[in-house]
Amino acid sequence: MNINLPYIDRIWRASGEVRIDEPLTPEEAFKRLDPLFQTPGTSYAVEGDTLHYSKHNPAAQDKLATFTSGALRVEQASDGTSRLLFHVRSTALLLCFLAPLLFLGFAQLMVTINGWEKASPEAIESVEKKDKDKDTPKAKRELHPIDKFLGAPEPDDPAKKKDRKKDEVKEKFPPTRAYVLAGLFFLIYLVGRVLEPWLLKRTFRAALVGTLEESAINVVQQEPATGTRPEAC
Amino acid sequence: MSGVRVGNRIIGAESPVTVGWENIGKVEGGPIKQFFFTYFQPAVLFGLILFWYYAPNEWALASIGIAIGLGFKVFLLGLEWVNPRYRSWQLTWKEFATDVFYVGMGYTLIRMMNAYIGDDVMIEAIRGAFDWDKFSWFTGLPLLLQAILISMMFDFGQYWMHRGMHNWYPLWLTHAPHHYITQLNINKGAVGNPVELFLIGLGIGGFFDFLPRAALLAGAIGMAVGTYQHINVRFNTPRWWRFIFNTTEHHSVHHSRDYEATRSNYSGTWIIWDRIFGTCVDGEAELLGMEGGRRMDIAETMVFPFREGYKTFREWLRRRSQAPEAHAPQAEPAE
Repeated sequence: MNINLPYIDRIWRASGEVRIDEPLTPEEAFKRLDPLFQTPGTSYAVEGDTLHYSKHNPAAQDKLATFTSGALRVEQASDGTSRLLFHVRSTALLLCFLAPLLFLGFAQLMVTINGWEKASPEAIESVEKKDKDKDTPKAKRELHPIDKFLGAPEPDDPAKKKDRKKDEVKEKFPPTRAYVLAGLFFLIYLVGRVLEPWLLKRTFRAALVGTLEESAINVVQQEPATGTRPEAC
Repeated sequence: MSGVRVGNRIIGAESPVTVGWENIGKVEGGPIKQFFFTYFQPAVLFGLILFWYYAPNEWALASIGIAIGLGFKVFLLGLEWVNPRYRSWQLTWKEFATDVFYVGMGYTLIRMMNAYIGDDVMIEAIRGAFDWDKFSWFTGLPLLLQAILISMMFDFGQYWMHRGMHNWYPLWLTHAPHHYITQLNINKGAVGNPVELFLIGLGIGGFFDFLPRAALLAGAIGMAVGTYQHINVRFNTPRWWRFIFNTTEHHSVHHSRDYEATRSNYSGTWIIWDRIFGTCVDGEAELLGMEGGRRMDIAETMVFPFREGYKTFREWLRRRSQAPEAHAPQAEPAE
């Protein structure tokens, strides 16, 4: 995903900088960031002041799981500070952005199937059969004496049920859920587009100032430090 | 790692599994937190049973059941943040988005598949062939008994389908992607290949005639118990509950990286089925997944059963064509 599409690529790209109050050389900075790249499926290369990385299907708890490729550059300022500039890309954000289209497609498929179902001779026959069934009186179900004693509501009497309108044919697949899911994915995308770059920035800062917890980097892949010797049940 | 003997099996020889309730972690914190996470599960179960038992007929609708289920899941997502079982299972944005994708597939694509080739069609066909009205005595039973029987029958079917998936290669191919999950969160039950999710949804409950209220009660029992299979919340689950019902602990053992441990705890709601059929292991595990915890992405999950099935078939054909040379008759060694 190295396509350069101004503005549009903001859907899946994020850029920013992290300022550090100490003069870090690129080597020092990349050394501090190194734990983030010592994870399965990660490849990276340093060229001068720039580090390029790429992750293939990172673990769920990988701190860079959302942004699977990118470039990091370190600059030293004359005032004794340094800054890390990052340009990263996320397949997850792009797919999340496109997911509403998939669910809108499912909604459209449901609408089409509903149309076919309504028009098919079997469906018309089935509605007529249901109407016929409705006319034949059904016996009212009785509750068990225990339930009557405990006060559970009696089942509805089918004879007293309001007649259904003859032209009312229930949709086989109401598309509402697909529309809701499309909307939900758009919301998830918006949250991710704001939250994930912010979390990334926080992770880089923590790594550069040395407060990134080691356990948080690769916790899923590691065996527990002390194995328990439980007793059999 | 030596593992622990449970019956005839060694559990935890390949990856850590904690066996035995006495070794499992407890809720940490003040008395209010302890109280909440000890009594939450039974309170919700009994609360839902009371609600569906006494709800007026105009409230006793499947749509209200679905709404309650969604609200409950949102609440449980909050609990995952308040009191996680393991930090290594913490829900991330990417994991959440991925899980919702699978949930969405369940509500759309799999629903459409079910309508045409699922249990609805099969049940309709079989119902037409027999006089199922003979089962109408079922509606005369007390409501709660009907609900428990419906729930247990459905879970019995799920138990054997699930066990079949772990023992018959073609079915395993469909189920394997679900075992690549590396952490348990509230929506992880939906993660898997659509073919598996379709198969596991097949039920036999539809053969029986039951009161709608009993079906709603059965659904509530399933929701108030089965939901905890995949959740990252530490509870002090009562002893009676974990004897009868499935728990996160049981299901984490089932998802462990230890092969022998995965061949246990197959039921969805009633762990009692595992106890009856000798497959129950009481315990818990943190390290989950397959191939050392490799995460399987959505694209691979969708193609895995077909790709691996094709590979196996090709390999079988290759071996078959080479069989006369490879398996030349050899002289039997003398006794």
